[in-house]
Amino acid sequence: MSNNDNTGKKIGKSFLSMFKRLFVRDKIELNVLEEEALQTPMKAVFKRLIVNKIAIIGFCMFVIILLFSFVGSLVFPLNEVHTELTHFNIRPSRNFLNYPSELNDSNIINIVSGVSFSAALTDDGNVHMWGTEPNLELPGVSDFILNVPQEVQDAFIVQIEAGMRFIIALDDEGNLHGWGHAGHGQTTLPDTISGPVLMVGGGISRIVAGSMWSAVILGNGNMHVWGSFQAEQNFMVPFEAMGRIVDAFAVDVNMILLLDDGSIMPMGVRGTEFYTNVPPELMDGSTRVEQVAVTNRNVMALDEHGTAHIWGSMIDGLHRFPEGMTPENVVHISAGYRNFIAVKENGDVYVWGADDYGQNNLPRGIENAGVHAVFANAFQFYAVDEDNNIVSTWGNRGYLFGSDHFGRDIFTRLVHGGRISLSVGIIAVVISTVIAIIIGLASGFFGGWVDHTLMRVADIVDALPFLPLVVILSFAIGDTLDQAQRMYFVMIILGLLSWQGLARFIRAQLLIEREKDFVLAARALGIKQRSIMFKHILPNVFNFVIVQVTLSYATFILMESALSFLGFGITEPVPTWGNMLTSAQETMVIQYFWWRWIIPGLFLIAACLSINMIGDALREAMDPKSQER
Amino acid sequence: MLAKFILKRIIILIPVLFGISIILFIINRILPGDPVLAMMPMGVRAELFDDVYRSIYLRLGMDRPIWEQYFRWMYSFFIHGDFGFSTMYSRPVTEVIGTPLRNTIILNVTVNIIYLLIALPIGIRMAVKRGSLFDNGWQVFSLATFAMPAFFLAITLIFIFSITLGWFPVGGMPNPVFLQGANLLWGWVRHLALPVTTLVIISLASAIRFIRNAMIDALSQDYIRTARSKGLSEKVVIYSHAFRNALIPISTIIVFTLFALIGGAAVTEQVFAYNGMGRLLIRAVEGRDRMIIISVAMLFSIVNVFAALVADIIYGLVDPRVKLK
Repeated sequence: MSNNDNTGKKIGKSFLSMFKRLFVRDKIELNVLEEEALQTPMKAVFKRLIVNKIAIIGFCMFVIILLFSFVGSLVFPLNEVHTELTHFNIRPSRNFLNYPSELNDSNIINIVSGVSFSAALTDDGNVHMWGTEPNLELPGVSDFILNVPQEVQDAFIVQIEAGMRFIIALDDEGNLHGWGHAGHGQTTLPDTISGPVLMVGGGISRIVAGSMWSAVILGNGNMHVWGSFQAEQNFMVPFEAMGRIVDAFAVDVNMILLLDDGSIMPMGVRGTEFYTNVPPELMDGSTRVEQVAVTNRNVMALDEHGTAHIWGSMIDGLHRFPEGMTPENVVHISAGYRNFIAVKENGDVYVWGADDYGQNNLPRGIENAGVHAVFANAFQFYAVDEDNNIVSTWGNRGYLFGSDHFGRDIFTRLVHGGRISLSVGIIAVVISTVIAIIIGLASGFFGGWVDHTLMRVADIVDALPFLPLVVILSFAIGDTLDQAQRMYFVMIILGLLSWQGLARFIRAQLLIEREKDFVLAARALGIKQRSIMFKHILPNVFNFVIVQVTLSYATFILMESALSFLGFGITEPVPTWGNMLTSAQETMVIQYFWWRWIIPGLFLIAACLSINMIGDALREAMDPKSQER
Repeated sequence: MLAKFILKRIIILIPVLFGISIILFIINRILPGDPVLAMMPMGVRAELFDDVYRSIYLRLGMDRPIWEQYFRWMYSFFIHGDFGFSTMYSRPVTEVIGTPLRNTIILNVTVNIIYLLIALPIGIRMAVKRGSLFDNGWQVFSLATFAMPAFFLAITLIFIFSITLGWFPVGGMPNPVFLQGANLLWGWVRHLALPVTTLVIISLASAIRFIRNAMIDALSQDYIRTARSKGLSEKVVIYSHAFRNALIPISTIIVFTLFALIGGAAVTEQVFAYNGMGRLLIRAVEGRDRMIIISVAMLFSIVNVFAALVADIIYGLVDPRVKLK
């Protein structure tokens, strides 16, 4: 049967080929070798490329990096000048809001947050911590804040407060505990306050944590502040407030004191926004204040009638209520570092202020969740319901690739840095290639004195030391340029100083090709010199040019990064992969903040590696003889 | 014949040198800042200021026409070896340059010796065992280090060997005041280890490929087949016949790297705080010391030109087929 089938097929085939040969003259069946010889060079190159593993891997890597940089730039906009100084050198993570599951079954009394961590106090006197460790373990200066000390675990804690990178806690016996960053001694009671002072004062009733200082309010209504030197200078308790302090709400340099008659009093550095437009009825005691929330520059106070009052700086629109919100019928207020949050009687939640980490994006479904209160004092927000269970979290989730010394998100800067590094490289390549082609062609085509002069110019550019000259030029001209101009300047300077290799190469190829037999044949046919040059010789040189251009693209990216690394290329705040590594010249950064140099470095390597892989594969595909090597 | 060839090459160099010096002179003119004010001594009384300014102005020859200034500078640079006065160090530039130049040469020579000792055997073996695991492994190494920025490699080495393991200093120079004799030598070794490693790895990337390809070219020649058919041992074929011929292209690349590192190691020197020419240049740029900047750039250029000349001559010497014309 099968034999029959085959015969039938064979007969069919022979008929087909007969007809083919009769009517379709050009189509001749070819063996593999002949077919290759008759393909256009581009097709042949492409065929050889797609079977090359290195080419495929390199190409995929490069496409991923391109998407990361260019599409990423659209998805993650970058505010170049935005800094959040308090968030310096945070480790890579996305777990700022990932609270432990045991909190679901317990009654939360309070949640406090620092720059990258949060702590919850439950009604069984326990402290639960989560987030990312902001501190380095430096003996005597700081220890890991996420390691809750044994004495705290053993004690029954009644109040916790968080500074930027430390936590203080008060237990039921009136003892103060503190851990985390202690660079100013803010986690332990100083000798001047402990012992007799406490005894006379009636023990600690409340504790207060500022950014880098702490304070205790004693049973007799007095307050003691310690920690950073500035804080001790700033917070001199006014005479009128002595003995009357019930509670205090603090930020960097200011505090709002809550006095025994329900009135409030600003304290700290004079003349800040905390003192402007304070509602007089809150100061003179005619209206009792129930709750106070303070951001970095603004104050919100909730009075006994459920009406919120707001004052302070106009930055981020925190001096007024958001559109659609009335200040009445408020049951709970709280404040992040740059945001206010208010919860209405009917469960509506309002949040307004700065929006750098999605603080103002209320999670969906929060209107119907029965929110009772929102805990916030940094950039992490936790909404709890009547049963004191967390129902919703939002705000700063963390920095995927960490943050740098200005608290800037390295991920976003990496995305935009990639965009700039890759574009500077490609434009520099285009500039240098265009110059190289023009000069190489002119030199090879005209010969004679043109060739001589151009080659001497190439010699000069060759002899000029590349990096030093770019450094000098960038210093000579760079000062007068703004950021965008500086970018073009770097592109042009790189392009102008590195065409000579390719130009020589093109010239040499032209000279070689000119002597070949097919040129002789073309000349014998009487084809014009010019069309021989452009139609017959140039396409042969073109392949080599493409390979060279691909390989030099990687070199240009490395050049730009080296230049920016030294501080002579593209400078901050515009990010490039090179200048993101500039700060890694400090031992401290190399030693502790690995994410600040390893991650940009790896991206730089990946980009150059993928380009080189493509270039290598291209060379092999275009010059199959080299493959045999 | 040879002398004529060298002479001709040198004559070609003269317009190149002039071109470079003109470019550097122009750059010197457009550098920001007033060179006279930079030379101004401290604490000049206000009423004398104009006189002092005038005298420095005249001493620098700034009242002359610009072409005369150029030739004066060229004259003092090439004929007198007077590179001008460093405002940052308050000393003649020739004195300032001495130590960094020595340090750079020490670094450079060490790097070149080590990388050649590594690259030659590896490159040859790669060519002989073409397609083997050895060959492919080093190809991958070459591809990876070719994409490696020198500063990242340097920082990584500092992180591993200085900070984590504590074997070598993070950077800087051995102090000859505290160290003598063998200790000083040991200090040099410790301080040189990481910069040398960085530069060797970076140089290896292209060198092993170049040597490999040169060897493969040599091995595919007809005379190798002849040598093999004569019954010569493989060792003799590789080292005596192939390698000697491969040396012709290799020799030029050796000459170039030998000189190129003098100007190209600025980044490495900067990261390791190695007091060499590259770092001197960067510090001079930051300190706006124009005479150091111009002199160092000029020296670098001369070295480059010289390297090209030496490479040409060596090429002519080792390859009898190259016509010395």
